[in-house]
Amino acid sequence: MQTVDFEFRKEIIKEDFSLSYCYQCGTCSSVCPVAFATDGVYNPRKIIEESLLGLKDLLLSEQNPNVWLCSTCQMCVEKCPQNVFLTEIFENLKNKIVQTGESYPDTFKTQAKAILENGLALSPTPPIIRRREELKLPKVETADSKELKKLLNTTNFVEKIHLNGGK
Amino acid sequence: MSNKYFLGCVIPGRLPYLEASARKTFEKLGIEISDQAKCSCCPDPTGTGLLDHQSWLVLGARNLCLYEESKSDIISLCSGCTESLKSVKYLLDKDENIKKEINDKLKSIGKKYKGTINVKHFAEILFENIDSIEKKVKKPLKDLRIAGHPGCHYLRPSEIIQWDNPLNPTTLDRLIEAIGADSVDYSLKNDCCGNPVEKSDKDVSYSMLQNKLKSMKENGTDCIACVCPACYQQFEFNQREVNKKFNTDYNFPVFYITELIALAFGLKAEELGLKFHRIKVNELLQKIS
Repeated sequence: MQTVDFEFRKEIIKEDFSLSYCYQCGTCSSVCPVAFATDGVYNPRKIIEESLLGLKDLLLSEQNPNVWLCSTCQMCVEKCPQNVFLTEIFENLKNKIVQTGESYPDTFKTQAKAILENGLALSPTPPIIRRREELKLPKVETADSKELKKLLNTTNFVEKIHLNGGK
Repeated sequence: MSNKYFLGCVIPGRLPYLEASARKTFEKLGIEISDQAKCSCCPDPTGTGLLDHQSWLVLGARNLCLYEESKSDIISLCSGCTESLKSVKYLLDKDENIKKEINDKLKSIGKKYKGTINVKHFAEILFENIDSIEKKVKKPLKDLRIAGHPGCHYLRPSEIIQWDNPLNPTTLDRLIEAIGADSVDYSLKNDCCGNPVEKSDKDVSYSMLQNKLKSMKENGTDCIACVCPACYQQFEFNQREVNKKFNTDYNFPVFYITELIALAFGLKAEELGLKFHRIKVNELLQKIS
Protein backbone atom coordinates (compact mmCIF):
# COMPACT_ATOMS: atom_id res chain seq x y z
CA MET A 1 0.00 0.00 0.00
CA GLN A 2 1.44 3.33 -1.08
CA THR A 3 0.95 6.37 1.10
CA VAL A 4 0.84 9.96 -0.01
CA ASP A 5 3.74 12.03 1.35
CA PHE A 6 2.46 15.61 1.37
CA GLU A 7 5.81 17.12 2.33
CA PHE A 8 7.54 15.33 -0.56
CA ARG A 9 4.78 16.42 -2.94
CA LYS A 10 5.17 20.05 -1.85
CA GLU A 11 8.95 19.83 -2.13
CA ILE A 12 9.08 18.53 -5.72
CA ILE A 13 6.36 20.92 -6.94
CA LYS A 14 8.29 23.81 -5.38
CA GLU A 15 11.50 22.65 -7.09
CA ASP A 16 9.80 22.59 -10.50
CA PHE A 17 6.45 24.33 -10.55
CA SER A 18 5.67 23.12 -14.09
CA LEU A 19 4.82 19.74 -12.50
CA SER A 20 1.56 21.23 -11.25
CA TYR A 21 0.45 22.10 -14.80
CA CYS A 22 0.06 18.42 -15.82
CA TYR A 23 -3.50 17.28 -16.60
CA GLN A 24 -2.49 13.69 -17.39
CA CYS A 25 -3.32 13.70 -21.10
CA GLY A 26 -0.57 11.14 -21.84
CA THR A 27 1.00 12.97 -24.80
CA CYS A 28 4.41 12.38 -23.19
CA SER A 29 4.00 8.60 -23.21
CA SER A 30 2.66 8.61 -26.77
CA VAL A 31 5.85 10.26 -28.13
CA CYS A 32 8.35 8.52 -25.81
CA PRO A 33 10.73 6.19 -27.72
CA VAL A 34 11.46 4.27 -24.51
CA ALA A 35 7.76 3.68 -23.88
CA PHE A 36 7.52 2.46 -27.50
CA ALA A 37 10.47 0.08 -27.05
CA THR A 38 9.16 -1.34 -23.75
CA ASP A 39 5.48 -1.67 -24.73
CA GLY A 40 4.57 0.96 -22.18
CA VAL A 41 6.36 -0.61 -19.20
CA TYR A 42 8.34 2.62 -19.01
CA ASN A 43 5.68 5.31 -18.81
CA PRO A 44 6.56 9.00 -18.25
CA ARG A 45 2.92 10.00 -17.59
CA LYS A 46 2.82 7.57 -14.68
CA ILE A 47 6.00 9.00 -13.13
CA ILE A 48 4.42 12.46 -13.28
CA GLU A 49 1.19 11.09 -11.75
CA GLU A 50 3.14 9.51 -8.89
CA SER A 51 4.99 12.80 -8.42
CA LEU A 52 1.74 14.77 -8.29
CA LEU A 53 0.46 12.35 -5.65
CA GLY A 54 3.72 12.45 -3.68
CA LEU A 55 4.26 8.68 -3.78
CA LYS A 56 7.80 8.96 -2.48
CA ASP A 57 8.57 5.28 -1.84
CA LEU A 58 7.33 4.22 -5.25
CA LEU A 59 9.42 6.90 -6.94
CA LEU A 60 12.65 6.76 -4.96
CA SER A 61 12.90 3.24 -3.46
CA GLU A 62 10.93 0.94 -5.72
CA GLN A 63 11.62 3.11 -8.77
CA ASN A 64 8.52 1.91 -10.56
CA PRO A 65 8.42 2.91 -13.41
CA ASN A 66 12.19 3.06 -13.57
CA VAL A 67 13.05 6.74 -14.05
CA TRP A 68 16.63 5.75 -15.05
CA LEU A 69 15.21 4.54 -18.37
CA CYS A 70 14.46 8.11 -19.48
CA SER A 71 16.76 8.69 -22.47
CA THR A 72 16.70 12.50 -21.92
CA CYS A 73 15.65 12.92 -25.56
CA GLN A 74 13.24 15.72 -24.56
CA MET A 75 10.56 14.72 -27.09
CA CYS A 76 7.96 14.81 -24.30
CA VAL A 77 9.04 18.29 -23.25
CA GLU A 78 8.67 19.58 -26.82
CA LYS A 79 5.26 17.98 -27.27
CA CYS A 80 3.70 18.62 -23.85
CA PRO A 81 0.65 20.90 -24.29
CA GLN A 82 1.10 22.19 -20.73
CA ASN A 83 4.85 22.94 -20.91
CA VAL A 84 5.74 20.51 -18.16
CA PHE A 85 9.53 20.13 -17.99
CA LEU A 86 9.44 16.34 -17.66
CA THR A 87 13.15 15.71 -18.30
CA GLU A 88 14.12 18.23 -15.62
CA ILE A 89 11.59 16.78 -13.15
CA PHE A 90 13.03 13.32 -13.81
CA GLU A 91 16.56 14.67 -13.33
CA ASN A 92 15.49 16.04 -9.96
CA LEU A 93 14.00 12.65 -8.98
CA LYS A 94 17.26 10.92 -9.96
CA ASN A 95 19.27 13.44 -7.92
CA LYS A 96 17.04 12.54 -4.94
CA ILE A 97 17.41 8.78 -5.49
CA VAL A 98 21.20 9.19 -5.56
CA GLN A 99 21.45 11.61 -2.66
CA THR A 100 19.14 9.69 -0.30
CA GLY A 101 21.42 6.67 -0.75
CA GLU A 102 18.98 4.53 -2.76
CA SER A 103 20.48 2.26 -5.38
CA TYR A 104 21.27 3.52 -8.87
CA PRO A 105 23.06 1.98 -11.86
CA ASP A 106 26.80 1.34 -11.33
CA THR A 107 27.72 2.79 -14.74
CA PHE A 108 27.02 6.26 -13.34
CA LYS A 109 29.41 5.64 -10.44
CA THR A 110 32.10 4.44 -12.83
CA GLN A 111 31.73 7.63 -14.84
CA ALA A 112 31.84 9.84 -11.72
CA LYS A 113 35.04 8.08 -10.55
CA ALA A 114 36.67 8.58 -13.97
CA ILE A 115 35.85 12.30 -13.91
CA LEU A 116 37.27 12.63 -10.39
CA GLU A 117 40.47 10.81 -11.37
CA ASN A 118 41.17 12.17 -14.84
CA GLY A 119 38.70 14.96 -15.46
CA LEU A 120 37.20 12.96 -18.32
CA ALA A 121 34.45 10.36 -18.56
CA LEU A 122 36.74 8.47 -20.95
CA SER A 123 40.48 8.98 -21.31
CA PRO A 124 42.49 8.04 -24.41
CA THR A 125 43.94 4.52 -24.02
CA PRO A 126 47.44 3.62 -25.36
CA PRO A 127 46.08 2.19 -28.67
CA ILE A 128 43.96 5.33 -29.14
CA ILE A 129 46.99 7.54 -28.44
CA ARG A 130 48.85 5.65 -31.17
CA ARG A 131 45.93 6.16 -33.56
CA ARG A 132 45.93 9.87 -32.73
CA GLU A 133 49.63 10.02 -33.65
CA GLU A 134 49.01 8.11 -36.87
CA LEU A 135 46.27 10.62 -37.76
CA LYS A 136 48.63 13.50 -36.84
CA LEU A 137 46.25 14.77 -34.17
CA PRO A 138 47.59 16.94 -31.34
CA LYS A 139 47.93 15.67 -27.78
CA VAL A 140 44.70 16.15 -25.82
CA GLU A 141 45.05 18.87 -23.20
CA THR A 142 42.80 18.25 -20.21
CA ALA A 143 41.93 19.72 -16.84
CA ASP A 144 44.12 19.36 -13.78
CA SER A 145 42.34 16.78 -11.62
CA LYS A 146 43.47 18.47 -8.39
CA GLU A 147 41.71 21.63 -9.48
CA LEU A 148 38.56 19.67 -10.31
CA LYS A 149 38.58 17.87 -6.96
CA LYS A 150 38.87 21.22 -5.21
CA LEU A 151 35.92 22.55 -7.18
CA LEU A 152 33.83 19.44 -6.56
CA ASN A 153 34.55 19.71 -2.84
CA THR A 154 32.51 22.91 -2.85
CA THR A 155 29.43 20.90 -3.89
CA ASN A 156 30.23 17.84 -1.70
CA PHE A 157 30.03 15.72 -4.85
CA VAL A 158 31.66 12.54 -3.46
CA GLU A 159 29.51 12.46 -0.30
CA LYS A 160 26.31 13.51 -2.03
CA ILE A 161 26.38 10.72 -4.61
CA HIS A 162 27.34 8.01 -2.07
CA LEU A 163 30.24 7.04 -4.28
CA ASN A 164 31.47 4.52 -1.72
CA GLY A 165 28.11 2.83 -1.12
CA GLY A 166 24.58 3.88 -0.15
CA LYS A 167 21.83 2.36 1.97
CA MET B 1 36.20 36.55 -31.08
CA SER B 2 38.12 33.47 -32.24
CA ASN B 3 36.94 29.85 -32.32
CA LYS B 4 38.23 26.96 -30.23
CA TYR B 5 37.31 23.30 -30.33
CA PHE B 6 35.61 21.54 -27.44
CA LEU B 7 36.39 17.88 -28.15
CA GLY B 8 34.60 16.21 -25.24
CA CYS B 9 35.54 12.74 -23.98
CA VAL B 10 34.25 10.22 -26.52
CA ILE B 11 35.83 11.60 -29.70
CA PRO B 12 39.44 12.13 -28.53
CA GLY B 13 39.27 9.11 -26.20
CA ARG B 14 37.67 6.55 -28.51
CA LEU B 15 36.99 7.90 -32.01
CA PRO B 16 39.97 10.05 -33.06
CA TYR B 17 39.21 9.50 -36.76
CA LEU B 18 36.02 11.53 -36.36
CA GLU B 19 38.13 14.40 -35.01
CA ALA B 20 40.52 14.06 -37.97
CA SER B 21 37.64 14.36 -40.44
CA ALA B 22 36.25 17.44 -38.67
CA ARG B 23 39.61 19.20 -38.57
CA LYS B 24 40.25 18.46 -42.26
CA THR B 25 36.77 19.57 -43.31
CA PHE B 26 37.06 22.92 -41.50
CA GLU B 27 40.57 23.41 -42.90
CA LYS B 28 39.26 22.87 -46.45
CA LEU B 29 36.49 25.38 -45.77
CA GLY B 30 39.06 27.92 -44.57
CA ILE B 31 37.42 28.14 -41.13
CA GLU B 32 40.01 28.58 -38.42
CA ILE B 33 39.36 26.72 -35.16
CA SER B 34 42.22 26.36 -32.67
CA ASP B 35 42.93 23.59 -30.16
CA GLN B 36 40.83 23.22 -27.07
CA ALA B 37 41.44 24.71 -23.64
CA LYS B 38 42.27 22.46 -20.64
CA CYS B 39 38.71 21.21 -20.33
CA SER B 40 37.12 18.55 -18.20
CA CYS B 41 34.15 16.40 -19.23
CA CYS B 42 31.44 18.85 -20.38
CA PRO B 43 29.94 17.21 -18.06
CA ASP B 44 27.76 14.53 -19.65
CA PRO B 45 24.11 15.67 -19.72
CA THR B 46 23.09 12.01 -19.45
CA GLY B 47 25.55 11.30 -16.59
CA THR B 48 26.83 13.72 -13.95
CA GLY B 49 23.75 15.98 -14.11
CA LEU B 50 21.52 13.06 -13.19
CA LEU B 51 23.58 12.48 -10.02
CA ASP B 52 23.96 16.08 -8.88
CA HIS B 53 22.68 19.07 -10.80
CA GLN B 54 24.88 21.51 -8.87
CA SER B 55 28.14 19.64 -9.60
CA TRP B 56 27.14 19.49 -13.26
CA LEU B 57 26.65 23.28 -13.19
CA VAL B 58 30.05 24.08 -11.63
CA LEU B 59 31.99 21.77 -13.94
CA GLY B 60 30.23 23.21 -16.99
CA ALA B 61 30.78 26.77 -15.75
CA ARG B 62 34.50 26.08 -15.26
CA ASN B 63 34.75 24.94 -18.89
CA LEU B 64 32.95 28.09 -20.07
CA CYS B 65 35.37 30.26 -18.02
CA LEU B 66 38.39 28.78 -19.84
CA TYR B 67 37.02 29.93 -23.20
CA GLU B 68 36.06 33.34 -21.80
CA GLU B 69 39.65 33.78 -20.63
CA SER B 70 40.93 33.25 -24.18
CA LYS B 71 38.08 35.24 -25.78
CA SER B 72 37.00 32.26 -27.89
CA ASP B 73 33.63 30.86 -28.82
CA ILE B 74 33.18 27.13 -28.29
CA ILE B 75 32.84 24.86 -31.32
CA SER B 76 31.75 21.52 -29.94
CA LEU B 77 32.23 18.26 -31.84
CA CYS B 78 29.59 16.47 -29.75
CA SER B 79 25.85 17.05 -29.29
CA GLY B 80 25.91 16.03 -25.62
CA CYS B 81 28.67 18.55 -24.83
CA THR B 82 26.80 21.17 -26.84
CA GLU B 83 23.64 20.60 -24.82
CA SER B 84 25.44 20.68 -21.48
CA LEU B 85 27.44 23.82 -22.26
CA LYS B 86 24.49 25.64 -23.84
CA SER B 87 22.29 24.67 -20.88
CA VAL B 88 24.77 25.76 -18.21
CA LYS B 89 25.23 29.06 -20.04
CA TYR B 90 21.45 29.50 -20.35
CA LEU B 91 20.82 28.83 -16.65
CA LEU B 92 23.63 31.11 -15.44
CA ASP B 93 22.74 33.95 -17.84
CA LYS B 94 19.03 33.76 -17.00
CA ASP B 95 19.24 33.76 -13.22
CA GLU B 96 21.52 36.11 -11.26
CA ASN B 97 21.04 34.03 -8.09
CA ILE B 98 22.29 30.83 -9.73
CA LYS B 99 25.17 32.75 -11.30
CA LYS B 100 26.18 34.15 -7.92
CA GLU B 101 25.91 30.74 -6.22
CA ILE B 102 28.11 29.12 -8.90
CA ASN B 103 30.60 32.00 -8.96
CA ASP B 104 31.02 31.66 -5.19
CA LYS B 105 32.13 28.07 -5.80
CA LEU B 106 34.33 28.96 -8.78
CA LYS B 107 36.22 31.35 -6.50
CA SER B 108 37.86 28.30 -4.90
CA ILE B 109 39.84 27.80 -8.14
CA GLY B 110 40.21 31.49 -8.97
CA LYS B 111 37.62 31.65 -11.73
CA LYS B 112 34.57 33.78 -12.44
CA TYR B 113 31.86 33.23 -15.05
CA LYS B 114 30.78 36.39 -16.89
CA GLY B 115 28.74 35.23 -19.88
CA THR B 116 30.81 36.64 -22.74
CA ILE B 117 31.07 33.74 -25.20
CA ASN B 118 28.84 31.58 -27.38
CA VAL B 119 28.55 27.83 -27.72
CA LYS B 120 28.00 26.24 -31.12
CA HIS B 121 27.61 22.71 -32.43
CA PHE B 122 30.00 22.00 -35.32
CA ALA B 123 27.11 21.19 -37.67
CA GLU B 124 25.73 24.71 -37.10
CA ILE B 125 28.97 26.07 -38.60
CA LEU B 126 28.76 23.59 -41.46
CA PHE B 127 25.18 24.59 -42.22
CA GLU B 128 26.05 28.28 -42.10
CA ASN B 129 28.68 27.52 -44.76
CA ILE B 130 26.53 25.25 -46.91
CA ASP B 131 27.08 27.32 -50.08
CA SER B 132 30.81 27.05 -49.67
CA ILE B 133 30.46 23.27 -49.09
CA GLU B 134 28.48 22.89 -52.32
CA LYS B 135 31.12 24.81 -54.27
CA LYS B 136 33.99 22.72 -52.93
CA VAL B 137 32.49 19.32 -53.80
CA LYS B 138 34.79 17.51 -56.23
CA LYS B 139 33.32 14.02 -55.98
CA PRO B 140 29.55 14.24 -55.40
CA LEU B 141 28.26 11.20 -53.49
CA LYS B 142 25.74 10.50 -56.26
CA ASP B 143 23.18 7.71 -55.88
CA LEU B 144 24.12 7.21 -52.25
CA ARG B 145 21.10 6.96 -49.95
CA ILE B 146 22.13 8.32 -46.58
CA ALA B 147 19.89 8.11 -43.50
CA GLY B 148 20.69 11.17 -41.42
CA HIS B 149 20.26 10.73 -37.68
CA PRO B 150 19.99 14.22 -36.15
CA GLY B 151 19.79 12.82 -32.60
CA CYS B 152 18.35 14.55 -29.57
CA HIS B 153 20.79 16.99 -27.99
CA TYR B 154 21.58 18.63 -31.33
CA LEU B 155 17.98 19.89 -31.28
CA ARG B 156 16.35 19.74 -27.88
CA PRO B 157 15.40 21.35 -25.54
CA SER B 158 14.68 23.90 -28.28
CA GLU B 159 14.29 26.77 -25.83
CA ILE B 160 17.98 26.36 -24.97
CA ILE B 161 19.49 24.88 -28.14
CA GLN B 162 17.91 27.47 -30.50
CA TRP B 163 18.79 25.60 -33.65
CA ASP B 164 16.74 23.91 -36.41
CA ASN B 165 13.20 22.62 -35.92
CA PRO B 166 13.15 20.37 -32.82
CA LEU B 167 10.39 18.12 -34.18
CA ASN B 168 11.01 18.29 -37.92
CA PRO B 169 14.71 19.04 -38.39
CA THR B 170 16.13 19.65 -41.88
CA THR B 171 19.72 20.95 -41.48
CA LEU B 172 21.36 17.52 -41.62
CA ASP B 173 19.29 16.57 -44.69
CA ARG B 174 20.37 19.77 -46.42
CA LEU B 175 24.04 18.98 -45.69
CA ILE B 176 23.62 15.45 -47.08
CA GLU B 177 22.04 16.90 -50.23
CA ALA B 178 24.79 19.54 -50.52
CA ILE B 179 27.35 16.78 -51.16
CA GLY B 180 25.20 15.22 -53.88
CA ALA B 181 23.65 12.33 -51.94
CA ASP B 182 19.98 11.49 -51.27
CA SER B 183 18.75 12.02 -47.74
CA VAL B 184 16.51 9.10 -46.75
CA ASP B 185 13.13 10.08 -45.35
CA TYR B 186 12.22 7.52 -42.67
CA SER B 187 9.46 7.49 -40.10
CA LEU B 188 11.59 7.30 -36.93
CA LYS B 189 14.13 9.91 -38.07
CA ASN B 190 13.50 12.07 -35.03
CA ASP B 191 13.69 9.28 -32.43
CA CYS B 192 16.51 8.74 -29.96
CA CYS B 193 19.09 6.06 -30.94
CA GLY B 194 18.94 4.60 -27.42
CA ASN B 195 22.55 5.31 -26.42
CA PRO B 196 21.91 6.97 -23.03
CA VAL B 197 19.66 4.09 -21.94
CA GLU B 198 22.58 1.66 -22.33
CA LYS B 199 23.84 2.94 -18.96
CA SER B 200 20.80 1.53 -17.17
CA ASP B 201 19.37 -1.22 -19.41
CA LYS B 202 21.16 -2.66 -22.44
CA ASP B 203 18.13 -4.61 -23.67
CA VAL B 204 15.93 -1.52 -23.84
CA SER B 205 18.74 0.42 -25.51
CA TYR B 206 19.12 -2.25 -28.22
CA SER B 207 15.34 -2.40 -28.77
CA MET B 208 15.36 1.35 -29.41
CA LEU B 209 18.24 0.94 -31.85
CA GLN B 210 16.47 -1.90 -33.61
CA ASN B 211 13.39 0.28 -34.12
CA LYS B 212 15.57 2.94 -35.77
CA LEU B 213 17.43 0.43 -37.98
CA LYS B 214 14.20 -1.19 -39.11
CA SER B 215 12.78 2.17 -40.11
CA MET B 216 15.98 3.03 -42.01
CA LYS B 217 16.02 -0.30 -43.84
CA GLU B 218 12.36 -0.08 -44.86
CA ASN B 219 13.09 3.19 -46.62
CA GLY B 220 16.18 2.05 -48.54
CA THR B 221 19.36 3.10 -46.76
CA ASP B 222 22.99 2.61 -47.88
CA CYS B 223 24.64 4.16 -44.84
CA ILE B 224 24.00 6.31 -41.75
CA ALA B 225 25.22 9.85 -41.00
CA CYS B 226 25.59 11.16 -37.42
CA VAL B 227 26.49 14.46 -35.77
CA CYS B 228 27.12 13.10 -32.25
CA PRO B 229 29.74 10.57 -31.07
CA ALA B 230 27.34 8.90 -28.63
CA CYS B 231 24.87 8.22 -31.44
CA TYR B 232 27.79 7.21 -33.69
CA GLN B 233 28.93 4.63 -31.13
CA GLN B 234 25.43 3.26 -30.74
CA PHE B 235 25.04 2.66 -34.50
CA GLU B 236 28.64 1.59 -35.16
CA PHE B 237 29.21 -0.79 -32.25
CA ASN B 238 25.72 -2.03 -31.38
CA GLN B 239 24.29 -3.12 -34.74
CA ARG B 240 26.08 -6.38 -33.94
CA GLU B 241 24.31 -6.60 -30.57
CA VAL B 242 20.94 -5.94 -32.23
CA ASN B 243 21.63 -8.71 -34.76
CA LYS B 244 22.41 -11.18 -31.94
CA LYS B 245 19.33 -10.23 -29.94
CA PHE B 246 16.81 -9.98 -32.77
CA ASN B 247 18.33 -12.43 -35.26
CA THR B 248 18.67 -9.68 -37.89
CA ASP B 249 21.44 -8.85 -40.35
CA TYR B 250 21.92 -5.08 -40.18
CA ASN B 251 25.30 -3.95 -41.44
CA PHE B 252 24.98 -0.26 -42.35
CA PRO B 253 28.29 1.62 -42.50
CA VAL B 254 28.14 4.59 -40.11
CA PHE B 255 29.77 7.95 -40.80
CA TYR B 256 30.20 11.31 -39.17
CA ILE B 257 28.82 13.99 -41.48
CA THR B 258 32.33 15.50 -41.65
CA GLU B 259 33.72 12.19 -43.01
CA LEU B 260 31.17 12.26 -45.82
CA ILE B 261 31.81 15.93 -46.59
CA ALA B 262 35.59 15.30 -46.60
CA LEU B 263 35.12 12.38 -49.01
CA ALA B 264 33.03 14.61 -51.29
CA PHE B 265 35.82 17.21 -51.13
CA GLY B 266 38.11 14.55 -52.59
CA LEU B 267 40.01 13.54 -49.45
CA LYS B 268 41.23 9.96 -49.38
CA ALA B 269 39.96 7.21 -47.07
CA GLU B 270 43.53 6.76 -45.74
CA GLU B 271 43.86 10.41 -44.71
CA LEU B 272 40.60 10.13 -42.78
CA GLY B 273 41.46 6.87 -41.05
CA LEU B 274 38.35 5.14 -42.39
CA LYS B 275 40.13 1.80 -41.83
CA PHE B 276 39.38 2.26 -38.12
CA HIS B 277 35.64 1.83 -38.68
CA ARG B 278 34.21 -1.29 -37.04
CA ILE B 279 31.66 -1.78 -39.83
CA LYS B 280 33.77 -1.84 -42.96
CA VAL B 281 33.19 0.89 -45.50
CA ASN B 282 35.20 -0.39 -48.52
CA GLU B 283 32.24 -1.72 -50.49
CA LEU B 284 30.40 1.53 -50.07
CA LEU B 285 33.44 3.58 -51.09
CA GLN B 286 33.66 1.57 -54.33
CA LYS B 287 30.08 2.54 -55.06
CA ILE B 288 30.93 6.24 -54.95
CA SER B 289 34.32 6.13 -56.67
